[in-house]
Amino acid sequence: MWHEPESDAKRRWADWFPAAALAVVVVLALSPWTFAQKPTADLPPGPMQAKATTSCLECHEARIILQQRLSKAAWTKEVDKMMKWGAVVDTNDRDALIDYLSVNFGPDQAAYEPPRTSVGKTAVKK
Amino acid sequence: MNSRRNFLKQMFGGALAVGAAPSLVARALALPQSGSTEKTVIDMPGEDGLIVRSFRFVDLETPVEYFNTWLTPVPHFFVRNHMHEPSELNGDVANSDWRLTVGGEVDKPFGLTFSELSRMETHSVVNTLECAGNGRSLHRPQVPGIQWGKGAMGTARFSGPRLRDVLQRAGIRPTGKHVMFRGLDEVPGKVPPFIRSIPIEKALDSDTLIATHMNGAPLTKHHGFPARALVPGWIGAASCKWLTEIKVLDAEFVGNFMSPGYRMPNQPIKPGDAVKPEDTHPLTALNVKSVIAGPIEGARVKAGKVAVHGAAWAGENNIAKVEVSTDGGTSWNAAGLGHDEARYAWRLWNYAWTARSGDYTILSRATDSEGRTQPATALWNPSGYLYNAVDQVKIHVA
Repeated sequence: MWHEPESDAKRRWADWFPAAALAVVVVLALSPWTFAQKPTADLPPGPMQAKATTSCLECHEARIILQQRLSKAAWTKEVDKMMKWGAVVDTNDRDALIDYLSVNFGPDQAAYEPPRTSVGKTAVKK
Repeated sequence: MNSRRNFLKQMFGGALAVGAAPSLVARALALPQSGSTEKTVIDMPGEDGLIVRSFRFVDLETPVEYFNTWLTPVPHFFVRNHMHEPSELNGDVANSDWRLTVGGEVDKPFGLTFSELSRMETHSVVNTLECAGNGRSLHRPQVPGIQWGKGAMGTARFSGPRLRDVLQRAGIRPTGKHVMFRGLDEVPGKVPPFIRSIPIEKALDSDTLIATHMNGAPLTKHHGFPARALVPGWIGAASCKWLTEIKVLDAEFVGNFMSPGYRMPNQPIKPGDAVKPEDTHPLTALNVKSVIAGPIEGARVKAGKVAVHGAAWAGENNIAKVEVSTDGGTSWNAAGLGHDEARYAWRLWNYAWTARSGDYTILSRATDSEGRTQPATALWNPSGYLYNAVDQVKIHVA
């Protein structure tokens, strides 16, 4: 299956290349730089992801939601407050939105780990 | 051939682990784990190593290990915005349309340009500013709101004209009981504007400022450029940013951020209990509180001399003492207080501990000049305000 290299040098290269390439891919995939382009977060997948994105993220970013750990009763209060404050939610979607938020951001979920701003770049734009 | 196959197998085995069990790889690389974890680093000019609670609008928290200087450098100072920052206010404010107006229950309403404001007599106040919701994430059961850890606070020297000089120039009528601040935050949707008021007595206090500077430099945009209220010793929300209007009222301002926002039940309540608005009062001065800045939670330190250190503050009161326990609260030792002090500023504190190897729960407990002491458990309330339980970190001494 693998081509047998003829010289020692070639053999060494053939030994290393796939592993090295894979290592580079793994490191890049886990690297902060990979994600550094977009400062805001996304809502999790689910039947209401698109509609929640439209309804909620018009005014604030997803992390405001991602960090909450609330009961269904508390999410119901929040959704109703936000609808009063201008969030556009179809009446038919209200219950599904509350379910989506309760399932993804209930009291038993692991705590959200927020990102940080970069260190050492303190110059203020004039 | 054999060794190569083994090596490749290990590598591909690693690749499979990446797909199937990211936590293993995360652990191996010492990254935080869990599906909800982000390894994002966000470039934000002027903000150095802060925890991003929200990017839009901006809410940034200071990691506790930064609380090792009496004055918190501005790039390390927490940011709490309720709305979007004003898009128009940039740079040359002296030649802009910006005005600070003073009106309401006064004889002579007037407006100030930034140059006029800058020519007024300036005063400085070193103040520990803390968000009322600091520590909200530590309340159980959990409550909605920005899930602050322990670092929605900092101490800075704020400078600018006294609010009372501006109010007296306008001539307060006897009907004037409260002073309202309006900022230029941009309000999305039908969200109520962030407007609050403070009682006239606090507004006339010689330490209440219209601050234009922070630690000797003009306010940055995130901290309220070009001017903000500075209501020392009180919850951060009292110190309105991007200030543009001061209005004297005959009563407390009526609006979401005075009620139901930023109020505490008059009596302790159980989670789930309903509270009537008339059984609440607006938040004013901060609680007595301390925080451990080092060693930090989960730290592994060497046996021997360990400096347990942090900061303690008490709103309008002074810190009388800080005690440290290294045995989970069985015995307490007096910490030394730092030399730097000012009426509304925290005291840094330090306890030189001789540590033997083992696992420890370190506690800090502050007591103020009025005899208030941090409780073992903070008073739960529906919005998670004024968390001030005895601070605690778990560490390992090797």
